[in-house]
Amino acid sequence: MKSIYLHQWQRFRRAPMLVVSFFLLTVVFVFTLAGFQSDDKFTVLAFVKEGSSDQAAEEWSDRLNESEGMFFDLREEEEVREMMRDGRTNFALAVGDSDYRMVVAAEDANLITVESYTAQVFREEFRLKQAEEAGGENIREDIQSSLEDPVLTVTTETIQGAEGTFVYDNQIQTLFGMTLFFSIYTMIFSLMNVTEEKRTGTWDRLIVSPLKKSQMYIGHFLYCFTVGYAQIVVIFLLFKYGLGFDLGGNFPAILIVVGCYAFAIVALGTLLMGLVKSSQQLQAVIPIVATAMAMLGGAFWPIEIVTNNIVLFLSQGMPILYALDALKSIAIYGRGLADLAQPLSILILFGVVCMGVGVNLMERRG
Amino acid sequence: MLETEELRKVYKGTAAVDSVNLFLEKGESVGLLGPNGAGKSTTISMIASLIAPSAGDVRLNGKSVLKHPNEIRKVLGIVPQEIALYPELTAFENLKFFGRIYGLKGEALSRRVQEVLKLLGLEDRQKDLVKTYSGGMKRRINIGAALLHQPEILIMDEPTVGIDPQSRSYILDTVRKLNEEKGMTVLYTSHYMEEVERLCDRVYIMDHGKVIASGTKDELKSILSGEEAILVEMDRDYPGLVKELEADEAILQTIEIDKGLKLIVPKGSRLLGKIFQAAERHGAQISNITVQVPTLEDVFLHLTGRKLRD
Repeated sequence: MKSIYLHQWQRFRRAPMLVVSFFLLTVVFVFTLAGFQSDDKFTVLAFVKEGSSDQAAEEWSDRLNESEGMFFDLREEEEVREMMRDGRTNFALAVGDSDYRMVVAAEDANLITVESYTAQVFREEFRLKQAEEAGGENIREDIQSSLEDPVLTVTTETIQGAEGTFVYDNQIQTLFGMTLFFSIYTMIFSLMNVTEEKRTGTWDRLIVSPLKKSQMYIGHFLYCFTVGYAQIVVIFLLFKYGLGFDLGGNFPAILIVVGCYAFAIVALGTLLMGLVKSSQQLQAVIPIVATAMAMLGGAFWPIEIVTNNIVLFLSQGMPILYALDALKSIAIYGRGLADLAQPLSILILFGVVCMGVGVNLMERRG
Repeated sequence: MLETEELRKVYKGTAAVDSVNLFLEKGESVGLLGPNGAGKSTTISMIASLIAPSAGDVRLNGKSVLKHPNEIRKVLGIVPQEIALYPELTAFENLKFFGRIYGLKGEALSRRVQEVLKLLGLEDRQKDLVKTYSGGMKRRINIGAALLHQPEILIMDEPTVGIDPQSRSYILDTVRKLNEEKGMTVLYTSHYMEEVERLCDRVYIMDHGKVIASGTKDELKSILSGEEAILVEMDRDYPGLVKELEADEAILQTIEIDKGLKLIVPKGSRLLGKIFQAAERHGAQISNITVQVPTLEDVFLHLTGRKLRD
């Protein structure tokens, strides 16, 4: 087994283009579709209104920056006005001690949203101040604790499930979806070495050697698993540390999910090899299966937005669905391995069944 | 040492190999001769435990290979008909890999690889990728891959197909050396009669899945001991002449060859005059006429009515 495994790496060293090209494709796709959105907040330039204190403006700025969608960048008035003259920004916010003013140089689609949000923050702050002045010194803490531990919780549900349980993160969706999608190609194309060996006759040479068939298969499967696993993990690390993608705080759990997924895909490749008659047929089938699986399994768009019952039913048979579900659970919702027992079990079961049937079919064909 | 018992393989109702019995003694060089599709490759695949027979058995030193495939795998080297190598690797890397799967490692493996490369005359090209080799060189490495573990039995399935005469001669010399100097038992399949005549002590002739004759070269040729072949070369084909000679009861067999005829006639029969007269009647110009002693090719023709490469 070891000699077969190491031999595959030796062959990879001499012909690395296949794996390298899918690795680069993944990086390019993820970078293009999600890489530039590492700080996706809308920036609003702000300056201290004439006659107002810097400290008050900073406090207002901190309060305004609690928004998830906007970032208020407090700068010198002169600098901001210069930028407005140059057309680098259409409007800015002048922050006073207890009021604000929108300085507008040109019409802008975001102006209404920014103004509405700013007005809301100022109104809330004044209400709180009024309440404090009326004797409620700890009013802010009381409100905060009431929000964290409400007396009454109202949950609105739709047919599809609990409203608000779906959080869409474009970066995470693109990174996970594209990486898992392209890794299918890497793993199954690498597995084609088996069909190629059968075609060229080297497989027969191995059969008449003292090696057992199980060792031959495991050597190949292990190589494909390692290549696919390494590709996924390296890309995750690249985007986590290189581009600051937030993959959550449980990377070891991600490694386990990737392992289960890679096993399921190698097994799927084995099944495909058992079903087709030649490597040419396999080459034709791989893109069809990979793309269909990615579309149905939610690699290109979140499965949560799909409402078609047929598509949702078909998606249940796609290993990529369970892998994405598990990965997003870790990265977005901060869930641990204990919560992922179901998708991981399905991936492993899928892998065991496909591998068993696939090897059986290949052996029957001879 | 190695024998097959009523070996049979049926594919979709058709017997590719039918009740084949053959044996190899230690140190022998045995030829398996037959045209394409005769069942030679299927027979050696069953001997090598690559495919399971539909019936019959293969025995190595009395032990069933079907029940104990590993017994033969340890002592067998097989040279397949196709170039079963990794073209993207060098000759050295290819041989090293095939040596490793037989359990060779470290210094012993490297030494053995160099010995095989020397035997094949490819020491200087060992670091070149196999895909850059000529057909003949690839064939040599194809043989080398089967020799690393120093097998007791070497089975070669048409190892000289599609190569230049020089490489072919080198391969045949190598096989002879392995058999005579190293005492390797060789089962050599081919549809080139002259290769089998040159290399093998005994020959099995196969056709349509069956062994139709076997024995030493002399024994086989003695099948035709009462006969001789007259080779008539002409300027072109003369169908009328062929018809006339076929009708002649004194001529046992008339075989058309390119611009000529091969006539199998009883030994000592005086037919040359008759042949010249017939040729004159049909306006045929005879450029050469030869009386031949029988070859294995003639034996095959005699047995099947077909040429080996038909």
